[in-house]
Amino acid sequence: MNFIDYYKILGLDKSATEKEIKSAYRKLARKHHPDLNPNNTEAEEKFKQINEAHAVLSDSEKRKKYDQYGKDWQHAEEFEKARSQRQSQSNQNNYRQYTYTGNQESDFSDFFESMFGGGGGFSGQQKSTKFRGQDYNAELRLNLTEVLENHKRTLTINGKNIRITIPAGIEDGQTIKIKGYGGDGIQGGPKGDLYITFSLLNNTSFKRDGANLYKTIEIPLTKAILGGEIIVETLSGKVKLKVQPGTQNGTKIKLKGKGFPIYKKNGFGDLFITFSPKIPTNLTEQQKKLFEELENTGLK
Amino acid sequence: MKNSTFIYIEEFCTIHNIETSLVHQLVEFEILTLKKTDNKEVIELEELPKLEKMVRLHQELEINPQGLQAIHHLLEQVNKLQEEILALRRKLNRFEE
Repeated sequence: MNFIDYYKILGLDKSATEKEIKSAYRKLARKHHPDLNPNNTEAEEKFKQINEAHAVLSDSEKRKKYDQYGKDWQHAEEFEKARSQRQSQSNQNNYRQYTYTGNQESDFSDFFESMFGGGGGFSGQQKSTKFRGQDYNAELRLNLTEVLENHKRTLTINGKNIRITIPAGIEDGQTIKIKGYGGDGIQGGPKGDLYITFSLLNNTSFKRDGANLYKTIEIPLTKAILGGEIIVETLSGKVKLKVQPGTQNGTKIKLKGKGFPIYKKNGFGDLFITFSPKIPTNLTEQQKKLFEELENTGLK
Repeated sequence: MKNSTFIYIEEFCTIHNIETSLVHQLVEFEILTLKKTDNKEVIELEELPKLEKMVRLHQELEINPQGLQAIHHLLEQVNKLQEEILALRRKLNRFEE
């Protein structure tokens, strides 16, 4: 656990006035507020730091304690105990205990909780009103082939096992909402939701755009000129394809229904094959001669 | 409408310590839609995160309703652009080795 310089976080020096603290906090909070920076974990983290710094520096008692112990905060508890013992000896009724009833413990650093006590930090009053729980965000990395079919998966989110069905055809970067799997509601309020964003690693030789797949296939020059058959791999197995005589470079053919599953619908997209005739290199003398003969026939 | 699918606006405003006029302004700016049940205004649970977000911005950043409207509009545009970027990235991926 490291010392946290709250003044530095707010860009202030130790002599900052209350007004300057408030102004610096507002300025930074507007910049890093999570609602203004959706899906930006860096901003979220920064916002938590700003809030924590503000919670300490805007509260005269906490600021005093923070300023008093500074980098020696680890010994603050011992100092405090010794001091309160001295105080209680001289005046039994003078002892004052601080309690913090905030409900977002995870929003505060270990440093904060060690210095000011666990659980929040705002000396707010306990409310009897209900609040919806926090929404959770998670990222799930999968191979592209893993989303070819609907499948169930067990995830561990905040120590709880959640079994979800991942629909076939989900997109890279797509987010799905799992209702009621977020944080617990406060005072009996409804639970928050869990948002899972999928990060798909393409472990196939196909390019994907939605439910359509694309692949460029090299074919021998002779086959492009004379025509013939080739075997092509698809996600559902091998298929035999006819190559028309005189096939040009870049010729596209569509294999209907051989693409990717369509998200939350029955059916599949298409597979588009682009032919790329391979120009031979390192010809033998005999092959060279044959090409020269072809050229002499007027072939261009 | 089932009881569990909405919350009374009056109750929401009391809990969050805001004026109902703020909610009405958000409705006027077409950020939210309200419904009526038992002659009382309610917000459906699906719409609630949007209202909560606006209240957070209002209370935590002291943003007035006009500012909230501008933020809402810009955030919608950011979302659309992000979706567009994602779709374009997928297309671009087809041409990259």
